[in-house]
Amino acid sequence: MALIEARSLGKTFGAHRAVDDLSFTVRPGSVTGFLGPNGSGKSTTMRLMLGLDRGEGITTFDGVPFTGLDHPMRHVGALLEAKPFHPTRKARNHLRMLAAPNGIDDRRVDEVIDMVGLTGVRGGRPGKFSLGMGQRLGIAAALLGDPHTLILDEPSNGLDPQGITWLRNLLKHLAQQGRSVFVSSHLLQEMALLADELVVIGRGRMLANGPVHDFISHSSLGSVTVRSPDLGALAPALEAIGASVAAADGGIVVRGVTAEQVGDAAHAAGLRLHQLATHEATLEEAFLEATGLSEEFRGTHRPSEGGQR
Amino acid sequence: MIDALRYEYVRLRTIGSTYWLIGSALVFQLVFAVLIALSLASSSTFGGGDETFEILATIGGSTGAPLLMAYIVGLLGVFSTGHEYRHGMIRATLTAIPHRTHVFVAKVVSIAVLAALTSVMCVLIALLAIAMFGLDMPSGSAFVEVSAGIVLFVTLFALSGLAFAAILRNQTAAVAVLMLVPSLFEFIIQSVVVLIKTNSSDPQGEGGITVILRYLPYDAGSQMFVQSSVSGFVQRAIGAEPFGAVGGGVVMGVFVALLLGGAYALFVRRDA
Repeated sequence: MALIEARSLGKTFGAHRAVDDLSFTVRPGSVTGFLGPNGSGKSTTMRLMLGLDRGEGITTFDGVPFTGLDHPMRHVGALLEAKPFHPTRKARNHLRMLAAPNGIDDRRVDEVIDMVGLTGVRGGRPGKFSLGMGQRLGIAAALLGDPHTLILDEPSNGLDPQGITWLRNLLKHLAQQGRSVFVSSHLLQEMALLADELVVIGRGRMLANGPVHDFISHSSLGSVTVRSPDLGALAPALEAIGASVAAADGGIVVRGVTAEQVGDAAHAAGLRLHQLATHEATLEEAFLEATGLSEEFRGTHRPSEGGQR
Repeated sequence: MIDALRYEYVRLRTIGSTYWLIGSALVFQLVFAVLIALSLASSSTFGGGDETFEILATIGGSTGAPLLMAYIVGLLGVFSTGHEYRHGMIRATLTAIPHRTHVFVAKVVSIAVLAALTSVMCVLIALLAIAMFGLDMPSGSAFVEVSAGIVLFVTLFALSGLAFAAILRNQTAAVAVLMLVPSLFEFIIQSVVVLIKTNSSDPQGEGGITVILRYLPYDAGSQMFVQSSVSGFVQRAIGAEPFGAVGGGVVMGVFVALLLGGAYALFVRRDA
């Protein structure tokens, strides 16, 4: 099972620095989500990892660069395009073509077709496929060599809800088998259910890297709501341990500390607590907070700036 | 390298254009060879077996007409790399075979072999037509010379199509360039040179601007099978002596080699 190590990845298009000194590790047995706003460099990073784009840095798969792998599809399965196939080459033939140079037999081709649910259209021409069917064919290609590593760029694009659930279960299952799964997605709720670790980038730079729970818990949007008859004394005690305190509807909202720290501080000060409720930020909130200043493409209409009149 | 050739083999076998392009080349060859052979069979003034074979094998190309099979087979070369970019296949291809040199060389080898085989079949169709209508067979030397010229020209033509598509990364543009450079651009250059030369103080003198005409790659390459053409008469009239079959073949070969070299250099350096 492969450890993916990306080191100092960089890419410049003209005057635009698309990827800037990105380094991260994807560990076997985990699904690592790759998040970033549109144009933040996710797809470019994935192409750099596979040697498809020329740039700086190196990515190794158990110490070997992708271009150094013998029969690469047996090691790394990749999905990088929405419809990476000739529209008139039959779906099964498309997979047979990719399988041929990797020493993969036709039986495995039929297996992955069955696995992704395209058995009924295996002889069909992909030009007539829906986006979701095209994605399934792309996923089949990625799975063709039964690889220990998967790199998938927006694999859930075009999938229906059943398809998204199927994909989530599949990727989780593959990770549980000890494989490394690196997947980008715009569907943050889906990523919250799927990913164990996150790599979050903005404008090509690393914003966060680590377990999903850490990313969310570090968000300043997480808070603890406190009700107490001793608020007057409690607020200074909390501020003394680094919390920010704001009054809210008969209580206070505390940020920057955990509920346990609030309880401990109250206990130490001999103060009574009537309610202690934790509000954890969602992945979406944490993501928006982390990438708020890193949007490559920013619309002019913002509801908070007077959109509702 | 074998892996990349295996990929190209399956790629060519599983795409319809391979069949309809080769089929078209063979059907055109058969239909026109039969029609020309029929016409020659009823003619009492036409030359011997060598000339008959030249006309039939090239479907009139030996008199300076475009070699139809080259244009059809040339599309195979364009599609070889053009499909990769038109349909976003290039990234899937390079994730299956990350060695770009292997991918490029496999495409060159597979298209060269396919073009050569198709042109050999076209030559055999010409022989079949000769036999069907009881015409004189060519001499051994004429058969070898003309056949080799046709096979080489068609192969180089197809490889130039592959190179155009790899350089331009645009299938439509590559088809346009492959069709227009030999048939139109070279003709325009010839016309301009003839115009300049005939209006010069020495319209029949050798050298000068007419040297350009010897190095028009496709026209030079056609010397490998052209026996006599209007273009050749005009060139000689203004003091330009075309290269022979070998010299013309070398000019075209060098041109295609340079194109392939440029295409390869770009292919290995560019983003996929």
